[in-house]
Amino acid sequence: MIASLGRILILASLLAAAAGAILGFAAGRTRSADGLKWARRFAYLYSALIVGAALIMVYALLIHDFSVSYVAQVGSRSVPTWVTVVSLWSSLEGSILFWGMVMGLYIAAATFLTRGRYAEYQPDAIGVWLACAAFFSFLIAGPANPFHTVPNPPLDGPGPNPLLQNHILMAIHPPFLYLGYVGFVIPFGFACAALLKGRLGHNVLKPLRESLMLPWIFQSVAIMLGGWWAYEVLGWGGYWAWDPVENASLLPWLTATAALHSIMVVERRGILKGWTITLIQATFLLVILGTFMTRSGVFNSVHSFTQSAIGPTILGFLAAALLFTIALLAFRIDKLESEGRIEGAGSREAMFLLNNLIFVLLTFTVLIGTVFPLVVEAVKGKQMSVGRPYFDSMTVPLGALLLFLLGVGPALPWGRATKEQIKKALIPPVAGAVVFAALGYVLGVRAPWTLLTLAFGGYAAYVTLAQMFVPMFQRMKSGESLGTALIDGQLRRGRRRFASYIVHAAAVLAIIAIAVSSSNRQQLELHFTKGQTQQAGGYDVTFLGVEQRQEPHRLSTVGVFNVMQGGKQVARLEPNMNQYQMMREPIGTPDVHTTALRDFYISLSNVDARAETASITVFIAPMVVWIWLAVIAMAVGALFGLIPAMRRGVIPSAARDPLPGAAETA
Amino acid sequence: MNRTVLLVGVIIAAVLVGVLFMGLGKNPAEIRSPLIGKAAPTFALRQVGTTNTIDISQFRGKPLVVNFWATWCGPCWEEHPVLVANARMLQPNVQFLGVVFQDQEDKILSFLAQRGSGYPTVVDEAGKTAIAYGVGGVPETYFIDADGVIVAKYNGPMNGDIIREHLQKVMRQ
Repeated sequence: MIASLGRILILASLLAAAAGAILGFAAGRTRSADGLKWARRFAYLYSALIVGAALIMVYALLIHDFSVSYVAQVGSRSVPTWVTVVSLWSSLEGSILFWGMVMGLYIAAATFLTRGRYAEYQPDAIGVWLACAAFFSFLIAGPANPFHTVPNPPLDGPGPNPLLQNHILMAIHPPFLYLGYVGFVIPFGFACAALLKGRLGHNVLKPLRESLMLPWIFQSVAIMLGGWWAYEVLGWGGYWAWDPVENASLLPWLTATAALHSIMVVERRGILKGWTITLIQATFLLVILGTFMTRSGVFNSVHSFTQSAIGPTILGFLAAALLFTIALLAFRIDKLESEGRIEGAGSREAMFLLNNLIFVLLTFTVLIGTVFPLVVEAVKGKQMSVGRPYFDSMTVPLGALLLFLLGVGPALPWGRATKEQIKKALIPPVAGAVVFAALGYVLGVRAPWTLLTLAFGGYAAYVTLAQMFVPMFQRMKSGESLGTALIDGQLRRGRRRFASYIVHAAAVLAIIAIAVSSSNRQQLELHFTKGQTQQAGGYDVTFLGVEQRQEPHRLSTVGVFNVMQGGKQVARLEPNMNQYQMMREPIGTPDVHTTALRDFYISLSNVDARAETASITVFIAPMVVWIWLAVIAMAVGALFGLIPAMRRGVIPSAARDPLPGAAETA
Repeated sequence: MNRTVLLVGVIIAAVLVGVLFMGLGKNPAEIRSPLIGKAAPTFALRQVGTTNTIDISQFRGKPLVVNFWATWCGPCWEEHPVLVANARMLQPNVQFLGVVFQDQEDKILSFLAQRGSGYPTVVDEAGKTAIAYGVGGVPETYFIDADGVIVAKYNGPMNGDIIREHLQKVMRQ
C-alpha cells in the first residue's frame, strides 16, 4: 500500500520533471510567457511530489512498515526514533530519495525566489534544473527504487549501520552535505541558461552568486563536520585522510570557491565571464562525480555503499552532463562579450585570476590523486592507493600560496596601479607577518612550512583586519559617530564587504590551525597496568581501571584515565572499545579533552578487562578546536553577507543598483 | 565554435569517464577467495532437528546462497533477519542454505524457533565442510551459480544491498 503510493509519487515526479524541463527549454526558445508559467508550475509540482515521496518513506520507517523494501533493509523496532528518521539516508536507496527531496526543495525555492525576474534566463534555468531532477527521479523509480513491495514482510529489521548510530554528528553531517552538493544544481542551471542565451548580463550575476554561496556554506560546514566526526570517533587522531570520498566532497568546494571569487571580477570589470561559467558548471559536474564515487562501490572508503545498477546509471548521467556542458561551452563561450581586460600584474583582478588558477590546480591535484588507483588497476591490474605523502606534498605549497594571495589580493587596488600605490599597499602588512611568525617560533613552531604559513597568515590577517575596519575609521574621521559608522558602514551598506572579510579572517585562522595542529602534534604509545601513572608530553596520565558497560546494541569496554597537569586535575578520559552485534571486529572510540590551546586525545589500542591492562595512543595537538570554530565562522560570515542581499532581492529596483563597495571581495 | 574548449573538454571527459567505467563492477574491499570460479565443494549434511540429509547437489539449477553461521556469533544474529527476509523475497528463484558449525543442536533449534527461518539449515558437526570452504570466521557467505560454481564470497554480516549485489554477479554468469 505505502510502497505503491511511494512508487506512484516517484513516477509522477519523473513525469512532472520531464514535462517541466521540455516546457522550460521550449519557453527559452520561443520566449513564451505562458510556457514559462507552466514550466514554473511543473517545477512546483515536481517538488511537491518528490518531497511527498520522501515523507512517505519517513512515515513508513516510523510505523515500521516492513512491507516496504527499504524499511525491511534498514528499519528496526529496537532503535531510538531519531535513528529511525536518520535511516532515511543511512543506506543507498534512501539516500538517493533524500537527495531527490533536497533537490525538490532547492528547485521550488529557486523558482519561487526568481519568479517574475531574469525572464531571459529563467526558462532555460528551470529546464536544466528539471532535466537533472528527471534523471534523479528516474534513478529512484528504477535502479534505486526504495519502494519495492516485500511479499512476506519480516517482523523486524536489522536497523541501520551501527557507525551511524555511534555519534550525533552522523545525523547532521549527511544532510549538510546534501544541502551543499544538491544546491549546486541551481547556479549550474543559471550558468547553462547564460550560455544558451550567449549572454551573461549584469543582472543575472546576483542570483548566480547567491545560489552558489548558499550551497557553498552548507558544503563548507559538511566537510568540517565530516572531519570533526572522524576526529571524535575513528580514533586515529586526525580528521582528514584524503579518503576518495572526502576528496569527492572537497572537489566541488574548491571550484565553487574559485567561482565565488571570479564572479566578483565579472561584477567589477565585466571580464572572466566564460571562465566563471566554466567553474560553476565544473562544480556541479564534480558533484555528480562525487555522487558516483559514493554510490558506485568503485572506491574503497568508509562512505561507500555497495555496488548495483545505480553506479552505471549515474556514470551515464555524468557522461551526458559532461557532453552537454562541453558542447554548450564550445559553441557559446565566445559569445560572452568581454567588457574589458586585466590591467597589469599588480592589480586586484590579476590576483583573483592567480587565486583561481591555484584553486583549479588544487582541484586537478586532488582529482588525479583520487582516480589514479583506478588508472593503475585498469592498466596494470594491480591494486594500489595514493596516500597522504602525495596529497600533502602537493597541497601544502598550494595552500600556502593561496594564503599568501589572501593577503596580497585584497591589499591591491582594482585596475591599473602605480608602483608607489603598490608599495604603499604591500609593505605595512609585513609587520603582521613578522609578528605571527615570531610568535609561532617562540611558542615552539619549527617546521619551515608552518612558519611560512604563519608569516603569510599574519600578512593576510593584517590586510583583512585593515580592509574590514578602515572604511569605518574613515567614516569616523569625516565626522560620523562610531555607532553610525559601525551600523551603517559595516553592518548595513557595507555588509557584503564586511561579511566577506569575516570569511577571509576565519579562513586565515582555519589554515593556520590546520598547519600548526598537524606539524606540532605529539604522538605517544603507552602501556599501562591498573593504577600506574606515566608522563605524556607534560601531562601525568593515570590508568584507573577498566569498566564494562552492556548497552542494548553494543558491549563497551571502557578504559578510565585520569589526566593531571602540574598537580592539577585536568580531565577524566574514558576511551572505549565497542563490540557491536553487527560487526565482526570491535570499534574503538577515543576520548578528547579539548581546550582553546590544545587537545589531549586518548585512543585505546588494546584493553584487557581481566588483567586490567591497557595500551593507548596519546595525541597532543595544538589549536585543533580552532579548525572547527573557524569553519563555523566562515559559514556564519558568508550567511551574514547573504541575508540582506536576499531581502534586498525582493525589491527588484534595489538589485539593479549595486551599493558602493558591495562588490569588493567574495 | 571554440575548438580549444571542445578539444580540452572532450579529452578530460573521455579520460575521466573511461577510467571510471573500467572501475565499475569491482569491489575494492572484497578479499578474493581461491575458491572463486571453482566448483563448490560438495557436502551432504543433516538438517537440524531431523534425521534428513541435505545434499548440496540437489540445489543445482538455481543460484544458491550458502551462509555459514553459529548461534554464539553476534553478527549472525543481526544478519539473520536480513537473510530470512531476502530468502522469502527471492524464493523460489534463489535457494538459501544455512550451515551451522561449532554449535549445539538445542541452541540452534531455539534460535530458529524464536527468530524464524525461511530456508533449510544443516549442521556441520565435525566442521569439515567449513574447512573445505576455507571459512575463517562466521558469518561467511558463498554465492554459487546454477552450475555449482562459487561466484563470490562475502565475509561478515550482510545487508540487503550486499546480498543483491552478489546475486547479480551470480545471475550474470
